[in-house]
Amino acid sequence: MLKALLIILSLSITSHAIVESQIQQVMDKKVHQVLNILKNKALSQKQKEKKSISVMNSIFDYKTMAKISLGKKWKKLSATEKKQFTKVFEKKIKHSYVDKLRLYNNQRVISKKLKKVKPTRITLENQIIGKTDTYKVVYLFYKDKKANQWYIYDVRLSGVSIIQTYRKQFSSFLKTKSFQALLKSL
Amino acid sequence: MKFLKSILFFLIISVLIFQGCTTKVPLTPQQNQQKEILSNSIEESTTDSTEFDSEFEEEKESIVDPLSGYNSFMTSFNDIFITYALNPVSEAYGYVIPQPIRIGISNAFHNIQFPIRFVNNLLQGKFQNVSDETERFIVNSTVGLAGLMDPAQEYMHIPKHNEDFGQTLGYYGVGSGFHIVLPFFGPSNVRDFIGISVDAYASPLVNIRGLENYKIPNNFAQSTVIVAGYLINKNSLELGQYESLKKDALELYPFLRDIYEQKRTADIEE
Repeated sequence: MLKALLIILSLSITSHAIVESQIQQVMDKKVHQVLNILKNKALSQKQKEKKSISVMNSIFDYKTMAKISLGKKWKKLSATEKKQFTKVFEKKIKHSYVDKLRLYNNQRVISKKLKKVKPTRITLENQIIGKTDTYKVVYLFYKDKKANQWYIYDVRLSGVSIIQTYRKQFSSFLKTKSFQALLKSL
Repeated sequence: MKFLKSILFFLIISVLIFQGCTTKVPLTPQQNQQKEILSNSIEESTTDSTEFDSEFEEEKESIVDPLSGYNSFMTSFNDIFITYALNPVSEAYGYVIPQPIRIGISNAFHNIQFPIRFVNNLLQGKFQNVSDETERFIVNSTVGLAGLMDPAQEYMHIPKHNEDFGQTLGYYGVGSGFHIVLPFFGPSNVRDFIGISVDAYASPLVNIRGLENYKIPNNFAQSTVIVAGYLINKNSLELGQYESLKKDALELYPFLRDIYEQKRTADIEE
């Protein structure tokens, strides 16, 4: 009885993403969680990857990322094609993220500044202190107006936008090849 | 007692289940949110992708790339060079020389290139950076043992300000020109290639006739050895990064070209 109530309560409390006032706080916490997971020697590489992804999952909006990366082509797709693409793209992004994490095992991260670019856009700049250089990582958030929550739709590493890079690649790929071929090569 | 409990439980559950269809109890904002997030994830997400279009570059119909044939050839050449020459050598080098020493060497290389950063920050009118860089050079060359260590960053928190002549040109509105892939050094473009040539005058590590007193190497062979040492040392600290990057590419040459141009544009804007 009490358990059931507790479950119901906790279900209604846990939020899926972040509200504006907590972006920096929540991101700091998540980044440090990931760093700790990476440093944990008791975990295997696979476990580390799985755990890191699950920490970040709730704030990455893979669907929107998939959509932006296809640009104009998105609208021409059928519903099943959209679904297929989103699924493959999400997998690709996660895989790439994990692969980068593997390289940045013992790094320090400093959270720098939060900027509200527009009422519905926020950027959060972090600095990764590497062995010989510091890298700038910018997380781009958009506001889901209906839910009043913020999600990440792009990440910029040293000025290179991940989604922009995919967008260019996809559009030039689709100029000469079919959508099915794109799905395959992802 | 137990009976009462189960009745209460049943009541709560039934209220929760039927609240939507029987009585139109207004949802609290919290519940509303929940509902929307749910419908959000089930249906198409509500965001319209056109909303983001202004933030992302439109696919250009044709990129001016007169050297595309040579460039993709040179990209494959560099790829083979990295995979079969630079990486194995760097690995062996990294195996023999401990990492702290390699980091020290990398710091020293950076420190001695100070004139490039000094001149280009000055040319761009970034006087705070000029003073930061000068301070860094003085501290690291002395206390930091000829630049092997970086106490300016570590203890005094004076940031680096990398600027080169390509960035200076960009700062004054010079466009990038077409893309050129350089052998061994990788992606570049007309503007940055001019930049590298001009920076060579300021760098103590590249020999130039007539400036022998200022330069460390006396001839081309010595310059080559220094540059090779620089590349191997640098690569030994970054092993795996190129391979990881490569995995994100559908086609290597356009991918590397795009990343390079994006990064340079961001560097110039800073």
